[in-house]
Amino acid sequence: MIQLNDICKSFKEKEVLRSLNLNVKKGEMFVLLGSSGCGKTTTLSIIAGLIREDKGDIYVDGSRINDIPPHKRGIGFVFQNYALFPHLNIYENIEFGLKARHKQRNNRNEVKRALELVGLDGFDNKNPMKLSGGEQQRVALARALVTEPECILMDEPLSNLDAMVRERLRHEMKQLQKDVGLTTIYVTHDQVEAMMLGDRIAVLNNGQNEEVGTPEKIFYKPQREFVARFIGMKNIFNGKITTLDEEGGVMQISTENFELTAVLIPSTEGTHVKACVRPEEIILMKSDQKTSARNEIAGRIITIFPNGPLMRVLVDVGEDEISVDITRLATRDLGLKKGDKVILKFKATSVHVIM
Amino acid sequence: MFEQRFHLIHHNSFFHILISLIAGIYFVFLGTIIACLLTATSLNEFINNIKSPEILSSIIISLETSIAVVILALIFGIPVAYLLATRRFKGKIILDTLIDLPIISPPLVCGLAILIAFGGQGLYSQFDVIFTIKGIIIAQLFVASPFLIRSARIAFESIDQDILTAARTLGASEFYTFRNVSLPLARNGIISGIIMTWARALGEFGATAMVAGCIPYKTETMTIGIYMHALSGNLDASVALSLLLIVSAFATLIVFKYFGRYNDSIK
Repeated sequence: MIQLNDICKSFKEKEVLRSLNLNVKKGEMFVLLGSSGCGKTTTLSIIAGLIREDKGDIYVDGSRINDIPPHKRGIGFVFQNYALFPHLNIYENIEFGLKARHKQRNNRNEVKRALELVGLDGFDNKNPMKLSGGEQQRVALARALVTEPECILMDEPLSNLDAMVRERLRHEMKQLQKDVGLTTIYVTHDQVEAMMLGDRIAVLNNGQNEEVGTPEKIFYKPQREFVARFIGMKNIFNGKITTLDEEGGVMQISTENFELTAVLIPSTEGTHVKACVRPEEIILMKSDQKTSARNEIAGRIITIFPNGPLMRVLVDVGEDEISVDITRLATRDLGLKKGDKVILKFKATSVHVIM
Repeated sequence: MFEQRFHLIHHNSFFHILISLIAGIYFVFLGTIIACLLTATSLNEFINNIKSPEILSSIIISLETSIAVVILALIFGIPVAYLLATRRFKGKIILDTLIDLPIISPPLVCGLAILIAFGGQGLYSQFDVIFTIKGIIIAQLFVASPFLIRSARIAFESIDQDILTAARTLGASEFYTFRNVSLPLARNGIISGIIMTWARALGEFGATAMVAGCIPYKTETMTIGIYMHALSGNLDASVALSLLLIVSAFATLIVFKYFGRYNDSIK
């Protein structure tokens, strides 16, 4: 539906996009995830026609739109700061796009329907500046939806809202997007948001598309080391495949300090790989207890610190460090402290291998 | 916000007394001088003077020319302000400086420049404006229009770029956006600019005198009238005209402050 081919863009000396390629399918919620400065917003601006690309082509439904001015592209935009018209009331804000396009239809019904869609019926005569941030963003959404755009671009639309409102609105937006079936490109730096909202996610890095996939693939089976690090896979080790056990369906990977057992993937012995284990997949114990976990590494605690709702334990395992996330209660029950000897266990299925 | 914060400060320090004292002297200086003008004539005298045909004529000439100047300043100034606010191009800084020049330069110098350009062998000599009403308008426009342009430009520049972008993505052309978003949002800045330009045109003396001379019933504006009557010893007529100008300036300022404040409350 929306296709970007080899888009390049520089501002002065700075290269912001380097041969960016994207392919967004009809009706999907496509999330652009990346840290600030990775080119997310520039990408949206180029799709909307607000800035001109230096090189590359943009296609919507197969037709090239590079030379079409922004107001004729039929691409909606929702901003982080809502960008409502302060001199117009809510009704006039939503009607703006209909009037600008000289539609000779009954605007009143369409505006009413759009307001109902975002749960703001009866707000017609209110002043947008008097609404809460969440309400303002709903108006912005209704204002974009009422013009029936080909697709809608959202630039961190929830970033200015407080956590509670953000979570609710995120839910509603996802539902709305599904109900309307509107192709959406959603820019965020928030992994949780990307995971919740995205049908597919593209991780951008340094003006390039590192990897595209479903949230499941990106968060649990990333194919690129950058993506693995970006989504918080703390434990990434360089290793080599030593044995392939076809019958058992596992393979051995040898890193500098320890041996790992991972689920078999098509490969050959001697291949260099990166083995990743998520911190929350590791069981930490003080004395060896029998478990079904195939991997077992002994180490010593370097430090313990709070990491969101969990506690992160940093364990020295020879030359490497392994991060383990456990609950606050478990930390207390086990009486964990710096310098303690511990045993780390995790399943073969917990080891994700990047070729 | 600021007022609340200042209430917390103790008002009995030496510094506070010092600045209050200095401010007091200054306001007495301003206030007494204006009071002297206000008390220089009686109401009867004032009304009699205003009724004199020469003064009435100068009032009419001043109003006509200053209103014409405001209209011309709008026609040229709004596009210029919008262009400078929204476009980046080479040589913009030169145009920018050119607009500021009439504000900084002595009006006499501006008048002389116009005199040379429109005079005998000047570039625009065919237009025949010297010693005419047209000359007054040109002199006032030259000196006063930059105030409108500056004010409108700042107003255009202070509109949130995302709001304009939003309009474009909703299907509005640049003209539609200009007409329905930029202009309404810049309204207060433009009104402030109109008031400043009008006040400046009304009070213009140096450039006008250079270009249009001081011909009673023909090119005698209110300010020129004040000067001429004062020179010829008819101080009462000068005072009457001055009072009119001061009262209208005062009214203008009140309107101006009102729009200024209204502007702030939007942000």
